[in-house]
Amino acid sequence: MIGRWAARNAVRHPIRTGLVVLGIAVASALLLDMTMLSGGMERSFENMLLSRGFQIRMSPKGTLPFDTEATVAGVTPIVAALRSDPAIAAAGAAVGIPVHVRKADSLVTLVGYGVDPKGQGFYQVLEGSDLAPGDSAGMLVGAPAAARLGWRLGDTVRLLGRLDPQSAEAGIERLMTVRAVVRWLYDSRDQLSVGGPYRVVRAMGRFVDPDPGSMIMIKVREGHDVDSVATRLAARYPGVQVNSVAALVRQFRNRLVYFQQLSLILATISLVVAVLLVATILAITVNERLGEVAVLRAIGVTRARLVGLVLIEAAAVTAVGTGLGIGLGLVTAGWLDDILTSFPGLPAAISFFVPEPAAMFRATTVMIGAGLGAAGYPAWLAARAPIALTLRSEAE
Amino acid sequence: MYLSPVIRTFSLLIQLVAQSGGDPRSPGIAVEARLAGRWGISVGDTIAIAAEAAGPAQQRVVEAIYRGRADPATALRGELAVRFHLADLANLLGAPDRVDRIGVAVRPGIGPDSAAARINQIGFGFRAYPSATIASESSQTFLVVSRFHQAIGFIAIVASAVFLLCIMLLKVEERRLDAAVMRMIGLARRTVFLAFLLEATLLASVGAALGAALAYLATVLTNLFYQRKFETTLVFAHLTPDIVLLAAALSLVLGIGAGALAAARLLGATPLALWRRA
Repeated sequence: MIGRWAARNAVRHPIRTGLVVLGIAVASALLLDMTMLSGGMERSFENMLLSRGFQIRMSPKGTLPFDTEATVAGVTPIVAALRSDPAIAAAGAAVGIPVHVRKADSLVTLVGYGVDPKGQGFYQVLEGSDLAPGDSAGMLVGAPAAARLGWRLGDTVRLLGRLDPQSAEAGIERLMTVRAVVRWLYDSRDQLSVGGPYRVVRAMGRFVDPDPGSMIMIKVREGHDVDSVATRLAARYPGVQVNSVAALVRQFRNRLVYFQQLSLILATISLVVAVLLVATILAITVNERLGEVAVLRAIGVTRARLVGLVLIEAAAVTAVGTGLGIGLGLVTAGWLDDILTSFPGLPAAISFFVPEPAAMFRATTVMIGAGLGAAGYPAWLAARAPIALTLRSEAE
Repeated sequence: MYLSPVIRTFSLLIQLVAQSGGDPRSPGIAVEARLAGRWGISVGDTIAIAAEAAGPAQQRVVEAIYRGRADPATALRGELAVRFHLADLANLLGAPDRVDRIGVAVRPGIGPDSAAARINQIGFGFRAYPSATIASESSQTFLVVSRFHQAIGFIAIVASAVFLLCIMLLKVEERRLDAAVMRMIGLARRTVFLAFLLEATLLASVGAALGAALAYLATVLTNLFYQRKFETTLVFAHLTPDIVLLAAALSLVLGIGAGALAAARLLGATPLALWRRA
């Protein structure tokens, strides 16, 4: 019966109820978006790093992988030692350099990755086959580069390296054959990248150290704790930065602290808006119906049932508004994500707004909780209304 | 025309070796104030520097402590900097006589675009860009953030419009009895409407003024917090007269509009009906 009363009260003022539902829907949409923003970036970054199962990265001391042009010296013995470690399932070095190709009468600059297929975690083969051991002329092409340069599987192209900035003459040229079209997991949208055997690409770069690496990726064997392996490696190689994915996510979070705080502030504002809306509307509605409340009390309806009536009304309005808000939030999240993922240089795999059931559940629960909390004062008003005094003033 | 070669920033490892009394023959460096403050480095101290962790370290004497120009592109990364004499850093990195970029200042009266075009005609193997082009390219990140803020602002405006409409509707609805009495004693519908409109205007004006004060306070707190957090003099939140005017105009338009809608709806009923509903 309480439910029927609540429904009748909501229908009695359709415009008012509609506006409250709309207000709660917009507030819920903002809350959901901010809930997704606060955790989505990290999860998306973590998923990107773990997409090939490599949980540890080694990079030059004081830097993140590919963050600067610094390199780790003497990577070949380090990789050999890592591969013989019983706790490590796979390890591989990678190096990044600028390479060039001629197109008509101009030069196109690409990112050239030197990879070791035995231990790589930053590309996925889309078409063709991965580099075979001992293949020194094979090349992997990122999909944007293949599209832009019109390369197909089996094409042979001339890669230029160590370009002299004065004469634009290449210090080294290599004929490479396209073996596969790949997706470079950390590349930004439309980034032109190619990859080749580690030793071949390394030889095309200009390095002071004869055996440099931009990064070493490590996959820890099942049953071994990633953090303890990372700690052990950090102690064994004090001159190299050893980061587990968890540590990288922490550093990523520090760099994007602005978005975390913005999401917290806006989520708080949306909650405050929802609480104020529900509390104000219900308080006024209860005030308007004090006579009705007094009559109900006079005919024996208990205070608890009246409190229940107000709470059910609040829960119903908040639930409908939140339901609409979740749909609205998903639409606006897509719009906001399109804006933020146009950051220059951002890996295409990163998303700022990741729709997850947990985020939706959290936003819904918090919003309905806030609605019920906001109904506390109006419910108290309804329960405490003096029967005789209210009836007399209504009669006057 | 004057040329100023600048070498790219590079990751280096440094270690404080001796406090004052270092070898005066060592080439000097300048240390950024944040780094100096964090590690207790003073002018005259000697620092060991290596390009790679496993590489050989070289000693340098701190000749100056400087405060870097606040740069929004790098401030949030928290990177610490040391300045070298150009040739010294090139030698330390093992790449003598190479630079990453060259700054060019043109003489008064010469346009940067025409100077860049002329350099590009005669130069080979490098490319000249006017500073405005580079600034435009490097500000892409901030343009994205700005577009994001605009989108969030739009959602906030929709939310506040609905909120305002709700509140004004209730506020006017609460005055049913007053409206009935005013109508019964002979006041014209238009007069009652204007009275409600005036009240809505007053409420919206006070609300807009309070909102501006609140926004100013939030700006001050935001800048205090982030300037301290990132050890920079950058301004993170800037409340300009344009923004205040836009917010005030929106509040007034929405507030008065909502009040007018609610008042018109209320005055559509007869005084007796209003009296009964009160």
